[in-house]
Amino acid sequence: MLTVTELNKVYDGHGRRVEAVGELTFTVEPGQFVCIVGPSGCGKTTLLRCIAGLLPPTAGEVWLAGQRVSGPPKGLAVVFQEYGRSLFPWLRVAANVELPLRAAGLSRAARRRQVAEALDAVGLADAHGAYPWQLSGGMQQRVAIARAIAYQPQVLLMDEPFAAVDAQTRADLEDLIRSVWQRFEMTMLFVTHDIDEAVYLGQRVITLSAAPTHIADDIEIDLPAERDQLTTRGAPRFTELRGQVYAQIQKAKLERQ
Amino acid sequence: MIVRIAYRTTMILALPALLFATWWIASDGSTAFYIPPLRVILEAFGDTWFGPRLVDDVLPSLARLGFGYLIALLIGVALGVAIGLRQSLRALLEPTLEFLRAIPPPVLVPILMLFAGIGDEMKILVIVSGCVWPVLLNTVEGVRAIDGVLLDTCRSYRIGGWLRMWHLVLRSASPQIVTGARQALSVGIILMVISEMFAASSGLGFTIVQFQRGFQIPEMWSGVLLLGLLGVLLSLIFRLVEHQVLAWYHGLRAVEKER
Repeated sequence: MLTVTELNKVYDGHGRRVEAVGELTFTVEPGQFVCIVGPSGCGKTTLLRCIAGLLPPTAGEVWLAGQRVSGPPKGLAVVFQEYGRSLFPWLRVAANVELPLRAAGLSRAARRRQVAEALDAVGLADAHGAYPWQLSGGMQQRVAIARAIAYQPQVLLMDEPFAAVDAQTRADLEDLIRSVWQRFEMTMLFVTHDIDEAVYLGQRVITLSAAPTHIADDIEIDLPAERDQLTTRGAPRFTELRGQVYAQIQKAKLERQ
Repeated sequence: MIVRIAYRTTMILALPALLFATWWIASDGSTAFYIPPLRVILEAFGDTWFGPRLVDDVLPSLARLGFGYLIALLIGVALGVAIGLRQSLRALLEPTLEFLRAIPPPVLVPILMLFAGIGDEMKILVIVSGCVWPVLLNTVEGVRAIDGVLLDTCRSYRIGGWLRMWHLVLRSASPQIVTGARQALSVGIILMVISEMFAASSGLGFTIVQFQRGFQIPEMWSGVLLLGLLGVLLSLIFRLVEHQVLAWYHGLRAVEKER
């Protein structure tokens, strides 16, 4: 279980004080798929970095599986937006996926098995020997996702992972993430600025206000578990939920002005 | 493919061949004592260097260069990583390093002679004192430029210790380290010769000075020619190693250029 309590983050430097995260409290149940949407510049990435233990919060706490997060915790993986910069260009695809497993001290056999399984799950079973920069952007992000899967985290954080790929690749990757989540049963926290994407992917969508961020809305997405780019996005309930999230975002933007 | 290789070989060899031919023809009838014909120099080349001198002078020179160069690489990379990773260490050391770097290494020869004598140790020390700077300063730059996203990736996957040192720090900085190592190599060759000109009983620099003092002019020229050829050979070896170490980097750069 992931718990965020009264999280606050203030950037203070060079005589400028920016309150990125106002006060956030929420809980994510194990195995839940939660999307976080908010207007751009609202502190989504700051929130995610605090949860990942990459950034110390100014106040408040993050708890993961009964442990307080004070640095990058075990059992948590992050997929960054900048896939091109988060993969090691001097390591081939399989070695990229394997490196965190080596750091975790897994045996060679276990590493090989988990790498093969993860690359297979993202449809890159035949790309073990390629360098990341030999692949397209979408495929590079698949490698980053495979690396996260192979790590077998309890919680997977994704920071606008598909913001830099084209629309068709994006749809493929969305379906991939849904299938990965169903197959590996991990908790997903997916940050995006795309309302459609959030509603399509999540079981639950948390809408953030403009900075200093607080929770504007927290809605259950009661769409069927089997989702499909055509039928789900065409369903009346999808449009309804989408409208609901959209209204909250607009309201949040107006509050700011 | 064959045509391309033939074309490239021609391009590489065209200018050297032209210069060689010009030198040969222009000097052929030369009667000037200090500028002997190239024909005579080449004769002297074979007689001088493919004999006991190869073992007595050429190999000792190269061995000192090799030792000094490797020691400089180790010190430069180790110190460079330490300084590059710590802002405080950088602030503390940078002014001093700038001062030390500005001292031309040849002036250290007389000083080092006082402490280390005129043996191999002194010559290796001179080579180290010159080669270490390009490696050190380039390594610092390379380590400082490690990508922030990659750093975050290592942190969140809890990749630490030697895995982090090798796969994040050293590999990230490797293009700059190689640049420093290339500069250091040419500095090293210069210092190899200079350290032998002051006080020595063997080596290429020593032998060339001996020839000059003994008015063995063709032999002196042949020594200069040999140094040039050694330089070409060493840079070829360097390129082969670089090709292996930085294959990923050149590939990445080529892809980025296309996009």
